[in-house]
Amino acid sequence: MDIIIKDLKKTFGEKVAVDIPELTIHSGELLGLVGNNGAGKSTLFRLILDLIKADTGTVHMGQGARGKEHENPSCPDNPLAPCSLPLAPCFINVAETEVWKDWTGAFVDESFLIDYLTPDEYFQFIARLTDTSDEQLEAFLAEYQHFMADELAGQKKLIRTLSAGNKQKVGIMAAMLLRPKVLILDEPFNFLDPSSQNAIKHLLKKYNEETGATILVSSHNLQHTVDISQRIVLLEHGKVIHDIDNREKQAQDILENYFEINE
Amino acid sequence: MNSYKLYKLICKNADLKEARHPMLDKNRFMKFLMAFMWLYYAAILLFMGVVMAMGMRNSYNGVAAFHVFDGGLLYLLITDFWVRFILQETPAQQAQPYALLPIRRSFLMKVYLTRSGLAWGNLYWGFLLVPFALIAIAIPLGWGATIGWLLGWWLLLVMNGYAYLFCRALIMKHMAWLLLPIAIHGALLAIMLVPDKDPLDMPCTLFMYGFLKWEVLPFLCVGTLIAFLYWANYKLQMGMVYDEVGKKEEKEIKHATQLNFLNRYGKLGEYLKLEVKQRLRNKTVRMSFFVGLGFMILLSGLMYFSDVYDNSFMRSFICLYNYIVLGMMTLITIMCYEGNYIDGLMSRRESILQLLTAKYYFNVLLLFIPPIILLPLMIIGKMSVWMNVGYFFFTAGVIYPAFFQMAVYNNNTLPMNTKITSKQGNTTQQIFSTIIFFIPIGLERAATALLGEPWGYLFLAVLGIIGVATHQYWLRNVYTRFMARRYKNMEGFRASRQS
Repeated sequence: MDIIIKDLKKTFGEKVAVDIPELTIHSGELLGLVGNNGAGKSTLFRLILDLIKADTGTVHMGQGARGKEHENPSCPDNPLAPCSLPLAPCFINVAETEVWKDWTGAFVDESFLIDYLTPDEYFQFIARLTDTSDEQLEAFLAEYQHFMADELAGQKKLIRTLSAGNKQKVGIMAAMLLRPKVLILDEPFNFLDPSSQNAIKHLLKKYNEETGATILVSSHNLQHTVDISQRIVLLEHGKVIHDIDNREKQAQDILENYFEINE
Repeated sequence: MNSYKLYKLICKNADLKEARHPMLDKNRFMKFLMAFMWLYYAAILLFMGVVMAMGMRNSYNGVAAFHVFDGGLLYLLITDFWVRFILQETPAQQAQPYALLPIRRSFLMKVYLTRSGLAWGNLYWGFLLVPFALIAIAIPLGWGATIGWLLGWWLLLVMNGYAYLFCRALIMKHMAWLLLPIAIHGALLAIMLVPDKDPLDMPCTLFMYGFLKWEVLPFLCVGTLIAFLYWANYKLQMGMVYDEVGKKEEKEIKHATQLNFLNRYGKLGEYLKLEVKQRLRNKTVRMSFFVGLGFMILLSGLMYFSDVYDNSFMRSFICLYNYIVLGMMTLITIMCYEGNYIDGLMSRRESILQLLTAKYYFNVLLLFIPPIILLPLMIIGKMSVWMNVGYFFFTAGVIYPAFFQMAVYNNNTLPMNTKITSKQGNTTQQIFSTIIFFIPIGLERAATALLGEPWGYLFLAVLGIIGVATHQYWLRNVYTRFMARRYKNMEGFRASRQS
């Protein structure tokens, strides 16, 4: 699923949070978003998820031939359905329809969690909303058992009583539960112990390879971001400073220089 | 820093906390409304004070107006006590941010308890008492008596404030303690209302007369009670500061209610489960339910056991109250609890529509509770079955749709499970909840006056049935308008979230 950002701008008072003239995230890409505090990473994610209103510009999601992105009026409701114009791509504006929510999983912060449910209840809630069968849910939980480390499944603890790290795990897993074609995770390594950080790196890479999902991950951890991302976008004051092809891990030096890690 | 300076600093911080509350901070109009409502109620009290002083002087020949007024001492104290639930925080809640700073806990507790006693809120009733005293006491008995009487009232209100704090602290430990003030006040009201002549009228009058005459005994009694309640609060709340900080919530819930029978309703069933669990597992939501239920039982009980409410207006009011109150407790602030996880909800397609539908069905189910509570009144003939039928459908089909309109406009997140329950609902919501009582009663009065008893209620029922039958249409309308305002609402929910 491609994500196409055009002329996207968001300001809070005088402060420019996001100002991106054009950015396309291609289907199947695992994109890392890095930048200092206040760079606009979370705001960009919220704009993509239609959780805040853009001052100007659009975010489109859809599938089609690269470089030929345009809105196809014949399929505004379901870009995945067979198109009446077979060669034309179908893109939808996320602010104009909710259909994209069916294939998008996201975890930005705790406001995504219903904290008076147990993790099992929350997973079941998300599963039922996304038409995931009980068997599929069971298989999913079995697959992520190592990541959960016996602290989430089968527990009678409410999410609000969990540690920050375990809440983070619940949020990430719930986002991945619907097998999304677009996965957006804001700071997924935060609060996690080293084992869980490595586990989530492995899971994200595996998920991307197996499903071809478009994955957007923001992080302050440059090493993890470089390790997993095929492409890294460096954001500062809302603007894209660098857009780096990282398939050969060539982003490491650029990022280290930018953040003056070696000085 | 000496103790006095520290006291002033903590008081200043407490004032700032009020002034910068997220719910007010983001909305200048809300600040204006708050100030307006403060003045509005002050003006009403002022007016009542003057009218009561004049009216009692003219109506009760031979008995001084202040004697008549003082006979109602306990009514005013009971009202004051319950009003405090929406206005006053406990010291343990206020002391929480300082718990880990190098300030003695005992000092902090004394600061907040003293501040509670000296709070301006205890003087608010002065808008009623001062004009009354000036007319009814100062003119015939002079300034000394006036000051003594007002001082006595102030001390009683301070004492009431400490009694409230004590009860509130116990309720925070376990909600069953809510039964304590309900039982005491219920018993007092029964003693005062059930017999033909109120047996507590004369003792109250004599007690207040003691203040007026500057006798030592009443001052001593109230002073001792204040000292005792101060000490009791100090002891009780000291242990609760760390409860607040630590949020000693049960690590594991005893019974993870599955509600599997709702699975057959698909996605709607999942949202119905959320409604049930939201009430079962969150103190604030649960408490509002039980408070509503408590008032339903209290009012119905008073009507059953006494004849003071045996007039058609009060019958109608109590019946309507029973049907509205449980829905009103949560629907006036509809979506405000969901503000805590609004981003998660908004990430799923049409989840808000499903949520609203589930909320509607759940609240319609709650409407089966009032007929059970009101059944004894129907059996003894104090309330007609038709009135119940009329209000049942009218609430489900007309009042609930009105409540649901708030879903479009509410954008302030309310904490679901913190022990701080002071700022529950903003002024708009409070005004709306007041209005919602008078329109149905006015309609019922008009309908029964024009059509007669059963037909008037049948008319209300028919209006309600139309609303119930069209619920999917108006729920979708609410949802569509909510989505049109979603950015503004989500911004408000985020700005007022207290985590």
